[in-house]
Amino acid sequence: MKLTESQIQDLYAFTRKHFVEHYDLQTELVDHLANDIETMWKTDTNLTFEEARDKAFKKFGIFGFMEAIEQKQKAMNKRYMRYFWNELKLWFRVPQIITTLGLFCVYYLSFSSLYTEFLSVGYYIIIAIWSIFKSVQLNRQFRRRKEKSDKKWMLEEMIYKQAGGTTLVFMSQVYNVFLISDRFSGNFTAILFFSIIFTLLTLINYISFQLIPNKAEALLNETYPEFSL
Amino acid sequence: MYICATMSNSKLYKGSLNTIILKLLNENDKMYGYEITQKVKELTKGELKITEGALYPALHKLEAQGLLDVEVAKVDNRLRKYYKLTENGTKETANKLEELAEYIKTMQALVNPKLA
Repeated sequence: MKLTESQIQDLYAFTRKHFVEHYDLQTELVDHLANDIETMWKTDTNLTFEEARDKAFKKFGIFGFMEAIEQKQKAMNKRYMRYFWNELKLWFRVPQIITTLGLFCVYYLSFSSLYTEFLSVGYYIIIAIWSIFKSVQLNRQFRRRKEKSDKKWMLEEMIYKQAGGTTLVFMSQVYNVFLISDRFSGNFTAILFFSIIFTLLTLINYISFQLIPNKAEALLNETYPEFSL
Repeated sequence: MYICATMSNSKLYKGSLNTIILKLLNENDKMYGYEITQKVKELTKGELKITEGALYPALHKLEAQGLLDVEVAKVDNRLRKYYKLTENGTKETANKLEELAEYIKTMQALVNPKLA
C-alpha cells in the first residue's frame, strides 16, 4: 500500500511540528518516514497511518529530529562559508586585487593623516549605515520570497539573514575606531593593522550583503537539485 | 548511539558508520537514506542496524566534507534525495577501507596470533 498525497502533506506538517523548519530537510525526512510506513504496512495491514507514523518517528530516538537538524545546520554553514571564501579569494586575484589595494591605500592614507579621527568615524558611520540598510532590505526580500513559495530553505535563510552577523563584527570595532587617533597616531604597525582590518571588513560586508545575495538563485540551484523542481 | 547491534557490541561498530556508508555507496552508485538502513540490515542479517538518528547527521556531514553529492528525483508522490560519491569520496572510501583492514589485522594479531 502506498501513501496518498494528503498523507505526504500530513508528514510534512508532522516534521514542522517537530521543529524541522526547512523544506530541504523536511523533504528528506518525509521520504524516510513514508518508506518506513509503507514497509510496515507490508507486514501489518491493520496498522493505521498515524500509528505507523509514530512508530517510524520513535526510531529516531529520544531527541527525534534534533540531531539531524543540528548536523544539517553545521553542514550548511560549512557550505555557506565555502561560497563565501570562494568570493573573498577573488578579491586577491587580478583584476579585483587592484580594488583591494586601492581600498587599503585609502584607509592607510586616511588613518595616517591629520584628520584620522574625523575620517575613521566617518568611514565607520558610512559602512554601518550601509550595512543596516542592506540588512533590512535582505530581510524584507527573504520574507517576500517565503510568502511567495511558502517554503524555507536552510541556505536561503543563511544568505538573506546570516549576512547581518558581519554587521555585528563590524559594530564591535566601534571602540577601536575611536582609539585609532588617540593612541595609535604615528604608530606604523597599528595603522597598518587597522587599515587591513577595515579593508577586510569592507570586503566581508560587500560579499555577504551584496555579492552572495545577488547570486542566491544560482547558489540555491547548485545546492538543492529539487529547488527548481 | 550511532549504531544498534543485536548484541551488546554496538560500541565496537561505533566509528565505522562513515566507512559503512561510503562502502555501500561505492558499490551501489546512488542510494537514499532509508535504502542504506535496509541494506545494512539485509547484509548483516539483522545483526547491525543503523539508527535513523545517526544516519542523517552522518550523511549531512559527509556531504559537507565534499565526499557526497546529491540528486533528487520524484518517486511516487514525493521527492527522494539520493546520495552518491564524489571523486574525493571515492578516494576517501579507499583510504577508510584500508584503515579498517589495518585495524582488523592489528586486532587479529592481538586476539588470535596464530591467524595473523
